[in-house]
Amino acid sequence: MKKYRFYFIILFLPSLLIGCVETNILDRVGLVTLVGYDVGKEERMATTSAVREVNPEFQSNVEVVTTENSTSKGNRVKTNRKLSKKVVVGQMRVVLFGEELAKDDIHRYIDAHLENPTVSNSLYMAVAEGEVAPLLEYEYQNIDDIGQHIFRLLEQNIEQENMISSTLHEVGRDLYSEGEDIFMPIIKREEELVELSGIAIFKNGKMVSSLRPEDTFYVKLIGGNYKSGTFETILTKEEIPDDLMKNKPDEIPIAFDALTSEKELKLINKNTPEFDLNITIKTRLTEIYPDVNIGDPKTVKKLEEAISKNLSREISRVIAYCQSVESDIFAFGDKYRSSVRNSKLTKEKWHELYKNMKVNVKVDLTILRSGVFE
Amino acid sequence: MNNTIQLSPKDMINAYLLFFVVHSTQIGVGVHGFQRIVYQDAKHDAWISVLLAGLATHIVAFCMIKTLEVYGSNDLYGIQQDVYGKWIGNFLNSIYILYCFVAFFSVLRNYIEVIQAWIFPGISTWFLSITLLLIIIYAFTGGLRVMVGISFFSVILAIWVIPMLVFPLKFSTMDSLFPILEVNIISLLKGAHSMTFTIIGFEILNIIYPFIKDKKKTSKYTHLALLSTTFIYLSIMLVSIMYYTEGKLLKTVWATLTLFSFISFPFMERFEFVAVCFWMLIILPNLCLYLWAAYRGMIRLVKVSSTKFVWIFSTLAFFGTLMVQTRPQINTMNTYLGKAAFYIVFVYPVLLYLITMLKKKFTSQKEQNNEKI
Repeated sequence: MKKYRFYFIILFLPSLLIGCVETNILDRVGLVTLVGYDVGKEERMATTSAVREVNPEFQSNVEVVTTENSTSKGNRVKTNRKLSKKVVVGQMRVVLFGEELAKDDIHRYIDAHLENPTVSNSLYMAVAEGEVAPLLEYEYQNIDDIGQHIFRLLEQNIEQENMISSTLHEVGRDLYSEGEDIFMPIIKREEELVELSGIAIFKNGKMVSSLRPEDTFYVKLIGGNYKSGTFETILTKEEIPDDLMKNKPDEIPIAFDALTSEKELKLINKNTPEFDLNITIKTRLTEIYPDVNIGDPKTVKKLEEAISKNLSREISRVIAYCQSVESDIFAFGDKYRSSVRNSKLTKEKWHELYKNMKVNVKVDLTILRSGVFE
Repeated sequence: MNNTIQLSPKDMINAYLLFFVVHSTQIGVGVHGFQRIVYQDAKHDAWISVLLAGLATHIVAFCMIKTLEVYGSNDLYGIQQDVYGKWIGNFLNSIYILYCFVAFFSVLRNYIEVIQAWIFPGISTWFLSITLLLIIIYAFTGGLRVMVGISFFSVILAIWVIPMLVFPLKFSTMDSLFPILEVNIISLLKGAHSMTFTIIGFEILNIIYPFIKDKKKTSKYTHLALLSTTFIYLSIMLVSIMYYTEGKLLKTVWATLTLFSFISFPFMERFEFVAVCFWMLIILPNLCLYLWAAYRGMIRLVKVSSTKFVWIFSTLAFFGTLMVQTRPQINTMNTYLGKAAFYIVFVYPVLLYLITMLKKKFTSQKEQNNEKI
């Protein structure tokens, strides 16, 4: 055997040459940081991508390229034809959908991204008001890299708990869940800035309606746990307790921060179905106008009750609205499936039940403290 | 019983190393995507199926050790020759060798498929296959103690992967696990049966037994290894069920890797790429020990030097990887291997145990009778 060893080494040497895989050198690739999908004018699908080209000598520049084709991979080929650098998607952070496309069906787009192993599961998905192309192609005065900018915008707001989170994983998970519908932030251009302007809510992968950005707070309250949120609400005249203060104003705006919440959801009647939703909130009062005597425990108690009532009403309103468009973004269906044995839940079946679902909302708010100045 | 294996102490291994050997041969390529296969039958109670499969390994391992203890210092090949005689015994031995080959091949091909699907779609199969085979040949020529050493390091160096399961918990909900025991017992057993491909590997015990120094401690370390394997599979399964929803889990081919794809560190954007590459260390003991097991059987059948054997074996495996190219082919292979392994690894040892016990009783009676005369 020993004398053959030399020949074996010779035999395997060529494998070292052929084994080289395709290289991706930073100077020679264009990093797609954002992709937007629209309904095409000529072909089925129009994509607009923000491609960052890293340049060692100069400042790196961002190209926004729009192409039309029938698949997303075909569009990548077409984008390549317009650029001097190879387009790679490993750094993709955001996927945007045009409103018209979102209303049609985004199922296949989510599948296409889940299938591709180079695409990270943690990229954000959002809907653009109107079309994506004009949003990206507009020459903003102070925004150099529109892809990175939108990513930071989403990331920052989601981490601060001002916006619902819609990563590819979450969207894919909810899309294939029997008892849940997907939802995403809505983005639009506001003069020289990009703004989060609401939440798009879906039914079976089709956008059916949207919620105001202010409603994010309620959606998040119903959906899960707050760790440190900020929020403001307005108490109306009926909600203000009579003996809270002498001259009762028409409304009291209140703001909180460092808000932590816990929710408890229970199915109490599986035929209707009927849920008990108890939300416990602990928070810090930061702003209230006109002045209320926070030092007095009785006043605080009354105030807490008033705010709880206000929140319950708002939460019920948001749920009722989503019920009217048959979009269960709160995962009530999941709870139903996990509480009812052999429910054999399907999306159609749940949407039928969901329309007539009843939710008894109860909010228990505790004001832990106010700021450093009473 | 004239075919027992006599070894000098320097060829033997300490009993505690058996923990690493059994544990590392069990965990291999199956762990990448066993979730959806089990989930198909057992739904969200899949974790109970994992527990059942784990329990089954304990029972089977108990039978294996009892059988081996009867013979003192012998392996499965010797036992089969003794129990069934030369012809049937050797026939069964060659089936077992074939099984080792297919298992070896399956691990190799599956791992190459994962690399091609996740990281390098352009890289050719033969290149990866040769690279891996050369490493395995290198390890094999080092002898059993080297391979056991690889098992040891494979387990120790891979421990850090387990805490990574905490990250996906951020997106998990306990609701996915309820209602517990919604599916019937048949589906649970079917799910446990689907675990076969993932949980096999501990049958190496049959072959390595004569090489253990302190044989009394065998069962202790084997069961410990089986327990920790079950624990790892159980935790991966629980996290997967909570992280995915039913529809998404059934569509995810390698759920464990997709689970990792969410993890990113400031210095490392995509964790699963590292995990895929790192997995080579985890499958290495699998490959080496299956190869070694086949070799131990082969020398009972024909006279062959270890170098010659390893080259023939690797060449066959190499051409095999060229034949099996597409995902459906690989899946079919896995299914058949799983089915065969169920009988070879789970059913047969229990049967062999009963036969050995009967034979033992029979021969001891005979001996008593002989003594009387």
